[in-house]
Amino acid sequence: MTEEQPRESVIVEKELPLGPVHPALLEPFRVRFFVNDEIVEDCEVILSMPHRGIERILEGLPVERALLITERVCGICSNSHAWNSVRVIEKGLNIEVPPRALFIRVIAQELQRIASHLIFIGHAMEVVGHETFAMRAFLLREEYMDMLYFIGGNRVHPAVPVIGGVRPRCEISDSLKRVILETLERSERKLRNYVGRVVADPLVMGRLTGVGYLSKEDAIRLHAVGPTARASGVEWDWRMEMFEYKPFTYDYVILYEGDNKARVIARALEIFECIKIVRQALKDLPEGPVVNRDWSPQRMKFTDSYNEAPRGELYHSYSLDDYGKLRHYKIRTPTITSIHSVEFAAKGDHVTDAVVTIASCDPCLACCNRVEIIDEKSGRRRQFTSMIEVIKKYGWRR
Amino acid sequence: MGLKATARKNAIHALLVYSGGCNGCDIEVVNAVFSPRYDIEQYRILLTWNPREADVLIVTGAITWAMKEPLQRIYELIPEPKAVLAVGSCAINGCVFRNLVGDIKHNPEVFAPLEKIIPVDIKVPGCPPRPEDIIMAAVKGVPKLMAAP
Ligand code: SF4
Repeated sequence: MTEEQPRESVIVEKELPLGPVHPALLEPFRVRFFVNDEIVEDCEVILSMPHRGIERILEGLPVERALLITERVCGICSNSHAWNSVRVIEKGLNIEVPPRALFIRVIAQELQRIASHLIFIGHAMEVVGHETFAMRAFLLREEYMDMLYFIGGNRVHPAVPVIGGVRPRCEISDSLKRVILETLERSERKLRNYVGRVVADPLVMGRLTGVGYLSKEDAIRLHAVGPTARASGVEWDWRMEMFEYKPFTYDYVILYEGDNKARVIARALEIFECIKIVRQALKDLPEGPVVNRDWSPQRMKFTDSYNEAPRGELYHSYSLDDYGKLRHYKIRTPTITSIHSVEFAAKGDHVTDAVVTIASCDPCLACCNRVEIIDEKSGRRRQFTSMIEVIKKYGWRR
Repeated sequence: MGLKATARKNAIHALLVYSGGCNGCDIEVVNAVFSPRYDIEQYRILLTWNPREADVLIVTGAITWAMKEPLQRIYELIPEPKAVLAVGSCAINGCVFRNLVGDIKHNPEVFAPLEKIIPVDIKVPGCPPRPEDIIMAAVKGVPKLMAAP
């Protein structure tokens, strides 16, 4: 539904709803395809199924306990949420973090990024219909889950960062360092083999090539983030800005095709860059303490922080009142901004391809709290990222 | 063992419903099925997405407003005999979303525990439980199915 067209002309009669429980989706969200003889004319993703009111329950909690909830915003990129929420207070109250802790945080983050990208590849392969590749990806992922388990003691929520450093339990000892390096060595070989085979497979690539095209202009206009945007040629990665990543040399994966194939390959190539970062971080891991307890909760003005989660830009911000309690917690996750661009990219394709396109932005919807507006004329509902978008699309009147 | 019970035992279909947790449990259940390391299919348990075929209903996550009714409908659609697995502390007691709330003493968005909505047979605690635990629980649900006439 672009701005130039009058709204009446794009409303199509036939609707194909998917979800909330559907094999191609895994997570509860509804997709409505408005189809005209198998061709998708409009597509709408309804997100607010898993709304748990996180921002509301965080209000008034002591800041140390908030970490328990922010980590449980998402189970795939839990470390980036936990890390970003402690970055806010570290930035706001100028808490100094020991360098060893920064390195350990980066290690945990990159290991989780690899695990997340492997889930994505597995999921995309499953949607495409190649179950062997899907199972392979999940098998490869197990090694990274093991490493997170060794570091943090939990496979999904390792809880590595705390305010002022990392949990002392997450200290990386010499023996653990050796284990991680050996596992990386082994699994990198397997990964190269696996990715090579996925890319060379004519059946899989035939399903992905040239489908769901998203141009660079559209990616910027619809605010795609992370690998979804980088596969369309947007040269932006929040890791360029973060001081934690300054000591490492690695490449950013930027592709220009902008189709589903590029989105899969961008993530596959990023895995190898993550391995590079983990290797360097383990090699020059500084000595010293891992946590700085020398801080106390006090009044803090509104501070924000951005982080590059596996799926893209992640935003957290809050302020603290006089007793060190949280006020106005705000989270914006990457999927919320990316999903509109795949809605757009899915138009004009076959229904079967459109499902792949939706999956190709790596939707992770465990975190949704959106505005919903109802179009009175057609009775259709739409959900928006922010009030600004509503205003842009429909003007102030609505 | 009758013919029906034998047939049932050889193909137990599990339906996974994710009702609004953090995704962690969801991924672990899928992991237990998909990942060749755990491979739940060696116990003749298959994942299905059709409630009419399912024998075991696996529910993860704190139940949110939007998922409450679909969950009840799915439960009713599953033919008898059925077993319900509540996986993760979200489904068992609401995890942090119910028990760690700030100024509003009660979080009205989640309906956990699951027991209040549909009867639960097996509970798998943990946040998230390990895939080994999930597999053990799914295998424990089998005797109940077998006992039915
Ligand atoms: S029990 Fe824990 S891991 Fe599972 S869905 Fe809830 S918060 Fe996530």
